[in-house]
Amino acid sequence: MAPLTTTTSKAASDSGADGQQIVLGMSAAFSGPTRGLGIELYRGASAYFEHVNSSGGVHGRKIALKTYDDGYQPDPSVQNTMTLMLEDRVFALFGYVGTPTVTRVLPMLKKFQDQTVYLFFPFTGAQPQREPPYSDFAFNLRASYRQETAGLVDNFVSIGRKRIAVFYQADAYGRSGWEGVRRALREHGEKIVSEATYRRGQRFESTMGRQVEILKAANPDAVICIGAYAACAAFLRDAVDLGLQVPVANLSFVGSESLLQLITESRPDRDRYTDLLVNSQVVPSYEDARIPAIREYRQLMLRYNPDPPQDLLEQAYSPLPQSFVSLEGFLDAKMMVKILDVLGENPDRTNLESAVFSIQDYDLGIGELVSFAPDRRQGLQTVYYTIVDAGRFVPLDDWKRRFA
Amino acid sequence: MSLQRLFQKTLFGIFFLFGMIGVATSVLCIRTVDSYLSREYEANSKGIAKTIADASVDIILNRDLSVLQSLIDQFVEIQGISYIYITDETGEFLAHTFVPGVPEEIRIGYTGSTETVERRLPGIGDFVEVSSPILAGISGNVHVGMDMGLLSLRIQGAIGQQVYLITSIFVGGVFAAIWLMGLAAKPIAQLLSYAVKLAGGRADGDDRSEKLLARDDEVGHLARLFLYFSEAKDPNRIERATAAGPDPDMSGALGG
Repeated sequence: MAPLTTTTSKAASDSGADGQQIVLGMSAAFSGPTRGLGIELYRGASAYFEHVNSSGGVHGRKIALKTYDDGYQPDPSVQNTMTLMLEDRVFALFGYVGTPTVTRVLPMLKKFQDQTVYLFFPFTGAQPQREPPYSDFAFNLRASYRQETAGLVDNFVSIGRKRIAVFYQADAYGRSGWEGVRRALREHGEKIVSEATYRRGQRFESTMGRQVEILKAANPDAVICIGAYAACAAFLRDAVDLGLQVPVANLSFVGSESLLQLITESRPDRDRYTDLLVNSQVVPSYEDARIPAIREYRQLMLRYNPDPPQDLLEQAYSPLPQSFVSLEGFLDAKMMVKILDVLGENPDRTNLESAVFSIQDYDLGIGELVSFAPDRRQGLQTVYYTIVDAGRFVPLDDWKRRFA
Repeated sequence: MSLQRLFQKTLFGIFFLFGMIGVATSVLCIRTVDSYLSREYEANSKGIAKTIADASVDIILNRDLSVLQSLIDQFVEIQGISYIYITDETGEFLAHTFVPGVPEEIRIGYTGSTETVERRLPGIGDFVEVSSPILAGISGNVHVGMDMGLLSLRIQGAIGQQVYLITSIFVGGVFAAIWLMGLAAKPIAQLLSYAVKLAGGRADGDDRSEKLLARDDEVGHLARLFLYFSEAKDPNRIERATAAGPDPDMSGALGG
């Protein structure tokens, strides 16, 4: 199997595309406590790109991913983007992970707007790349955090759980989710009853007891967490241990399978920790084989089983067979290939935007048609809700029965 | 021995004087450095708070609060800034950098005042909090907490350097004074020894005596005077003393 990641220091040409390949640039967390997100997103995208490459590529060109590790930290992500744009001269940026990182990268895209380098499908639902002045430089596939938090709030309020507290990461990502919850509650005439934060990069071994105590003192009906899997799993563990017996919701960014793995491993009473867990997702359940794109995803993940980028791995990593994150990466790649296909036989960055806008009612295979337009730079709008049943995430059909 | 006691008093006087100068200079330095660094620290903090406030207007009015959070996250990386929080005009906390949450000391009883205050936050530390209004206060306020511990460390560092310098000068001055006193005491001791020999009638023009008599300073004058008085007892030898040359100082003393 040919490696997908480019090893050359410079892309095929100054425009990131030549007769042989199109190079996309990716900066994500491949190290640190959030590395599971970057690695799984990469693996999901790689599965589809490898499939396309093995079938002859896009108009005869192979797709290559030039990857860099930013450890989910803003400064390295800015440095990586500089390298990708100015030295590697990639065709487009693809699959960036995280709000604090993307938020800091966006001004660079504006600064170098004459080079028409767009950011495609970042793994964040935050607003900055969805609103002026930076919305012109990014395209999103996934639903936003505002849509996710609004969905969670609406459902909690609908079953009488109006006193909502927020546990969030003390950075732009956490604030984005906090803002979403605040706005959604305002629609119902409610306010956030309590809030607690944690510092980015916390590990599962960290204690979140103080945060639990702060939220518990406000006697909330539910807690919405805006964080990454290690910290959110630590919070869930401590919440259950300290008797905060209310539903605990997480956003799609959390990395559901990694969270579940941490919270349940080596615990005989694992149901105690997962019964009140509900995670919003921006892709359908990968367990639902009735969905064509899910069947394709499962088949290609099994066939290619992509390795993480070995040169970026600091520690051994056990890939997940399937996950919401890799499914999102897979769908991102599928959408990217469609755009490159529409772009035609002579890919030119200056035509990228019009190529994206020409896509109307495209069927990704998940039951929701994708359209782009100048005032619609986000492809998907649906939010899904999942709970844990028999050690797996399954769709939540009835909020009242589960949490009322 | 009596000479050493005489110089001991002088030395103690010098030590005392140097000590007083050192202490006075140190106290003045401490006050100056403390005042200067504190003012500079506060001025810088106010500048940062104003910069954030100016940049926040557009964000609060037009953009998502994650942008505001991203902004203050960058400023809190500056050494010395411990926390930043931004409130709207109603006092709601729009963005902050506290973990695990906004301390009760700040949250409860928040008045929206932009006066500079000193805060003691249990378990966190002591801070100087400076503030700046956003859009003249109608869109809220920015508050920046500066670590007083770090400020104290910087002040202590600066003062330490000053005191180190002053102490070094003091110690050097003391050793220099001892050395200079030694230089002054040595010919006087020789003069004393010479005078004792003269009194005992044992000064027979050895090298040391000749050198002493040849000195063109007060010690030399005194040596010649002692010799004169000594030989005055012996009229046969007075010519030898006067033959050593005219001495204007001595001639006055001799009535000549």
